[in-house]
Amino acid sequence: MRDSIFIARLGVPAVALVTEEFWPQGDFFATSTGMPEVPRIKLPHPVAGTGEDKMTEVATDIAPLIIELLSS
Amino acid sequence: MDSLSASSEQDALELLHQLGCTDGLPVVIPTADRVARMVLATGHEPDLVLGVMGPLLGSATIEKVAAAAVMAGCLPDHMPVVVAAVQAVCQPEFDLTEMQATTHCTAPLIIVCGPARHACGEIASGFGAMGPGHRANASIGRALRLAMINIGGARPGSSDMALHGHPGKFTYCLAEDEEHSPFPGLHTTFGYQPEDSAVIITGAEAPHSTFFTGDRDDPASVQSLLDVIALVMANPGSNNVHLRGGAITVIMNPDHAEVIKRAGMSRQDVQAELAKRATISVGTMRRISPVFAAQGMSAEDAARSESSDDELIHVLEDPNKILVLQAGGSGLYTMVMPSWCAGPHRNAVVHASIELDQACEIPGMTL
Repeated sequence: MRDSIFIARLGVPAVALVTEEFWPQGDFFATSTGMPEVPRIKLPHPVAGTGEDKMTEVATDIAPLIIELLSS
Repeated sequence: MDSLSASSEQDALELLHQLGCTDGLPVVIPTADRVARMVLATGHEPDLVLGVMGPLLGSATIEKVAAAAVMAGCLPDHMPVVVAAVQAVCQPEFDLTEMQATTHCTAPLIIVCGPARHACGEIASGFGAMGPGHRANASIGRALRLAMINIGGARPGSSDMALHGHPGKFTYCLAEDEEHSPFPGLHTTFGYQPEDSAVIITGAEAPHSTFFTGDRDDPASVQSLLDVIALVMANPGSNNVHLRGGAITVIMNPDHAEVIKRAGMSRQDVQAELAKRATISVGTMRRISPVFAAQGMSAEDAARSESSDDELIHVLEDPNKILVLQAGGSGLYTMVMPSWCAGPHRNAVVHASIELDQACEIPGMTL
């Protein structure tokens, strides 16, 4: 989340990928760093260690949204 | 600083609990008068900013830190150490924001060195120094934690994502037993003079007990001691093994330090030997953590995956990242604390001078 915020501050389009368990923490960081509207996408939790098929499914689901947010 | 109001101390305590401003234990209510007098004890202006504490990015002013110290039960004498501890963790190299937010169980371990151990306490360095019963140790460590909660915004499950936490996140502070140690004060390895006072702070797991019983008649005894400490340092489950690049703290009890002394070893000798001996095999890493197994190999070997399973990976490349000191009571156990090893600066060990000449005595001051 902080990486996304720092990249966005440099003027580079950025989207944070945040799992649902860490969504409140993402909100906290975004607010505390003064960028409450920084783009972010909610992922299921966990993602790490769920296997290639599941991770491919998650990536396929969110890829269009990432492109949309980066383009907006 | 914003203030709250309540009709009684009991109501104030309940309010602070409800607002998540405590560590779950009762606190001394930081009334304006108590905080003002604690500020006075520092000898600094209340609005002096010691640093910024993440993830909330709150300004750690003397007044806010004094409020945390009051809540923690500190005495005015403790304030120079609390101030130094806050200054230390606010240094960028400590990665406080990331450390507060991590899922790992790391907590800042405050090691107090120099004359402040006596002038600001007594801060315990002997039996049970990291356990209950030592007011200065308990209060100073707790003051830093309450500052991290209320200035830094660490709240379990929403901004502090430690999966389990650990008891050292309530308080984690001890003094080095310099008087009985075979080593110079730990702070001298960071450029301080022996007569200076300083805090050394490292992000640390809970102490891992390391059993060793020496034999005075056996000249090889020191080899066994170094081996067993190195084996605990290379605990295959620790972040130091998987991520590498962090620090490891080794706190020797007086008996184990005596074994080192009899062998004629300096702190640097011990660090070098432990760094050499703390290893894990490539085969073990391939078995338990294939994703991280390539770390520690040369890029060429990792790319070819030709490293033998018997090849050893050193847990720490830099011996200086092993903090070696003496504390605790006489007996069989040395303590080893692995670390988190992550963050932009790998949660580096930090230090700050304890300024004893800033303190202001307040006659008859009670809290």
